[in-house]
Amino acid sequence: MTTSLAPSGDLAPSYQLLAALLTVLGIVLLALELKRSRGSRLLAFATGSLASIGLLCAVLRPVAIQSKGSLVGPRVVVLADASRSIDLPGPAGKTRREEAVRALGELQKHGAEVRLYGLAFGKGAPTPLTAALANGAAEGTQSGPENRLGQALLAARPMPRSDLAGAIESVARAADERPAAIVVLSDGRFDRPGEAQAGEAIRAALGTLTVPVHAVSLATEAPRDASVRAVRAAGAAVAHQPLTLRVEIGCAGGLDCDEVPVSLRELRESGEPTLLASGKANASSGSATLELEVTLDRAGARILEVSIDAPDGDVVPDNDTRYVTIDVARDRVRVLHVAGRPTYDVRALRMWLKADASVDVVAFFILRTPTDDVVAPSEELALIPFPVDELFSEHLPSFDAVVLQDFNAAPYGLAKHLRSLARYVDKGGGLIMVGGPDAFVPGNYAGTPLAEVLPVELDRGPDAQGVDVASFVPRTTEAGRAAPVLGPLRDLIGEEWPEMPGANVVGDARPGATVLLEHPTRRTPKGGPMPILALGEHGSGRTIALAIDGSHRLLFSAFAANAAGRAHGAFWDALLGWLMRDPRFEPAVVELADGCIAGEDTTLTLRPLPGQKGDAKITIRKLGTGEEARTLSAKLDGKGEPLSLDAGKLQPGGYSATVEIVPSDAGAPSDGAASAQRGPTTRRDFACERGGDEWADTRPDPERLAAIAAATGGKSVTVDQIGSLPLPAATQIAAERRVSPLLPPWAWTLGAAMLVGAHWIVRRRGGLS
Amino acid sequence: MRARVTSVLLVVVALLLVALVPRPSRAFGEEGAFNPRILLTGTARWEGARTTGPARWSEELTRRTSAPARLTPTTVRADAPALLAEPFAIWGGEDDVPALTDREVLGIRRFLALGGVLFVDDFAPESGAFGKAARRELARVLPDGAPIPIGTENVLFRSFYLLRRAVGRVEGEPKLEAILRGGVPQVIFAKHDVLGALARAANGTHPFVVVPNGEPQREQAARLAVNIAMFVLCSNYKDDQVHAPFLMRRRAAEPSP
Repeated sequence: MTTSLAPSGDLAPSYQLLAALLTVLGIVLLALELKRSRGSRLLAFATGSLASIGLLCAVLRPVAIQSKGSLVGPRVVVLADASRSIDLPGPAGKTRREEAVRALGELQKHGAEVRLYGLAFGKGAPTPLTAALANGAAEGTQSGPENRLGQALLAARPMPRSDLAGAIESVARAADERPAAIVVLSDGRFDRPGEAQAGEAIRAALGTLTVPVHAVSLATEAPRDASVRAVRAAGAAVAHQPLTLRVEIGCAGGLDCDEVPVSLRELRESGEPTLLASGKANASSGSATLELEVTLDRAGARILEVSIDAPDGDVVPDNDTRYVTIDVARDRVRVLHVAGRPTYDVRALRMWLKADASVDVVAFFILRTPTDDVVAPSEELALIPFPVDELFSEHLPSFDAVVLQDFNAAPYGLAKHLRSLARYVDKGGGLIMVGGPDAFVPGNYAGTPLAEVLPVELDRGPDAQGVDVASFVPRTTEAGRAAPVLGPLRDLIGEEWPEMPGANVVGDARPGATVLLEHPTRRTPKGGPMPILALGEHGSGRTIALAIDGSHRLLFSAFAANAAGRAHGAFWDALLGWLMRDPRFEPAVVELADGCIAGEDTTLTLRPLPGQKGDAKITIRKLGTGEEARTLSAKLDGKGEPLSLDAGKLQPGGYSATVEIVPSDAGAPSDGAASAQRGPTTRRDFACERGGDEWADTRPDPERLAAIAAATGGKSVTVDQIGSLPLPAATQIAAERRVSPLLPPWAWTLGAAMLVGAHWIVRRRGGLS
Repeated sequence: MRARVTSVLLVVVALLLVALVPRPSRAFGEEGAFNPRILLTGTARWEGARTTGPARWSEELTRRTSAPARLTPTTVRADAPALLAEPFAIWGGEDDVPALTDREVLGIRRFLALGGVLFVDDFAPESGAFGKAARRELARVLPDGAPIPIGTENVLFRSFYLLRRAVGRVEGEPKLEAILRGGVPQVIFAKHDVLGALARAANGTHPFVVVPNGEPQREQAARLAVNIAMFVLCSNYKDDQVHAPFLMRRRAAEPSP
């Protein structure tokens, strides 16, 4: 409660001022008059002055004001860095996060009169720090009233970015109470603003909000660390073409980085990573950029491991190895087309391959067998030797896909290359085996290494039947109805196929394979319908088995004429597209919006195609070992909306996520044909690393913080100097007010009259008029 | 009477059983075999000494190459849906032919639109009546296509054998003519009576004398037939870059004609 005096509210302030001025003027005139006179001037002046004041009081009639109120602190927004980099080493053996907690405690002590509002910033709009506590994310943390913000920061999940500019924009545009100041707690290593003109960028982010941005550095000294700071590709990655990768090596904290060995390896489906390039970087000046040239033969997402052999004393070994996903595009798809003999089926496929400008086809057809009588010397023949050894050893990696059409492996020397052909698939190559009298079992593939990569089993018994000569119409399976790979064909001809003059006899689909077409009557040894068209994954590559030699009837037949012969192109375009992982033919898309950080929760986003109903099964396997890391599942409702799936915490390294979509109307297997129930699959390779980009450069950047503070009128301090931060003062806010007159008006008038009278008497006695 | 009913029933049952047996209409692998079908138009019939020519064509193809072929080739009418069953047909004749009906024009047009190859063989190049008539009628089928001469630079002359010229029963002009589509021949015109050179009677004799060079010319005619078949089966395979250095060396080693 406070009490104060004030004039009565009857007179306007201007009149009150006029009255006061007249009173002062009267006293001044009295003093001048008395100065020229003689006699008791002092008494006259005293009574005159009192009379003037009395008259003023009679005019103003003072009142007493009693009021109740409180001090309200201004709102100060604290933006605490919650990016992954705050888990890096800070001063005195603590992490930067622990230093930030201490800073919040110091702020709460120093800013006792202000209202601190804590926000965690990283990626996107900042989130209230208290939300982390509310979510219970801080297991075992104390959330008492003291340093509650600090406890919340301890609980905050590290974010993959550090976007201070975005956070400040969000604060400035918020509709709630505008802050009187902003305090940033960070190590200064931001994604935004960048190193250059950081202050200007923050001022622009503030917009019309003119408040100081104070900065508190959580670290000022760089830890002893050598790291792979960045890996950048000079241009787009195109299969079979050299690509230069610029590897930036960082060195800080006084480590000896004169010769840092750098190696670049590609992760494989199985086995050890393959060394692509290596070199040595001289990062003694703090950083070095090494250019390494690599040639990636396989298109699609390729995961490269870039690692350094850090010098002794490196305190952050996690950033010595980085994983980079390179999306390798194709200039043109290089296809090796090998046919055992020329037929209309070979003709149709060749014509399609040659007609597609995006396909670069190298073809070898066996036009003459050793028993053929050509009736001409070799110089009169336009025949060249089949360079089987050269093709399947030296040139094989240069092809994106190999088509073996009705080709017998035995007589032409291919048999001895089947192992390398299987390895080619394992490393990411595509393979299509097309049927005919010399394909599959009659082609001597059963029991070979190549048979292991095919999506169907082959009977290797001595009495194995090679072909079934009975005509039939292939039947589309449930998976075939759902698979986008048959979508373009379905659009042209529906699900009806032309009659086929027999088929190669193949066994059951291998685990993981997808059967799209099946024989209507013939059964496999396990009792299921015999696959006619099966797709499979093996290692990093894909394979297709087409157990018929009549797909040319989609191009040339009375049946084909209904679709103007376009069905053949639609069919093969999709098969080759699927083989090359064309997104148009994938049954779903798997993404990692926030990437994958080892040891932290990873979220996969599954985007199914609209109309897909059923179950999605996602299997995550570790590259190299093939070990199954996670199995996830989700229900697809046909709306095509993305689904978030929690993959949990993964270890560092490369992974493949294979998605199998089983249509809901597939029904239960009625004849033991488990393979036919398998749905279309897609796959996404990704890598998990510790820390990610946020840990790539461990140096704090207090200079950037200082620039931000200077540009906005704030102050940049360390945690120990928080007490010197000029936080805004609190404001008194009144809650209750009571006004009461000191005396009644007649008393003021009477008093003034008596004082004027007394002064008149004194003047008369002093001889004044 | 009872025995007769039983017999009829047995026949019906036998027919049903036959119908239920899966039809090996063509053996697996023969579906894509080369079939030198004879295209018939109007009221034309396939008869005469050249009827053995297509079978001989197939026989020479299978004997000399790895390509499969139908040893009993068929005929097909220009207005029949069966024309679209396979991508090759031979249209031959000696005399002028009546104008194609609209259905025949449509049939051949659809055949060519799907990518079929038509070989037009003039059995009487001395008169050239059939050749002129065929060109006239095919101009109605393909109004935008005009035949142009093709020689050794064309893939047809190196699809299996390295040929220096075209020959048949008569030596004729060294070049063929063709209407090209996408740079490759689609309608091939020969003024050499190739089927006449290929024809062979059951007793192994040749019904037509090959002039002027006799049997060596007949061999060259057979090679041309093989090349045409290989072109039909492999398209422009021998135009691939990988064959170029080999073929250039061999061409360079050939004596000048």
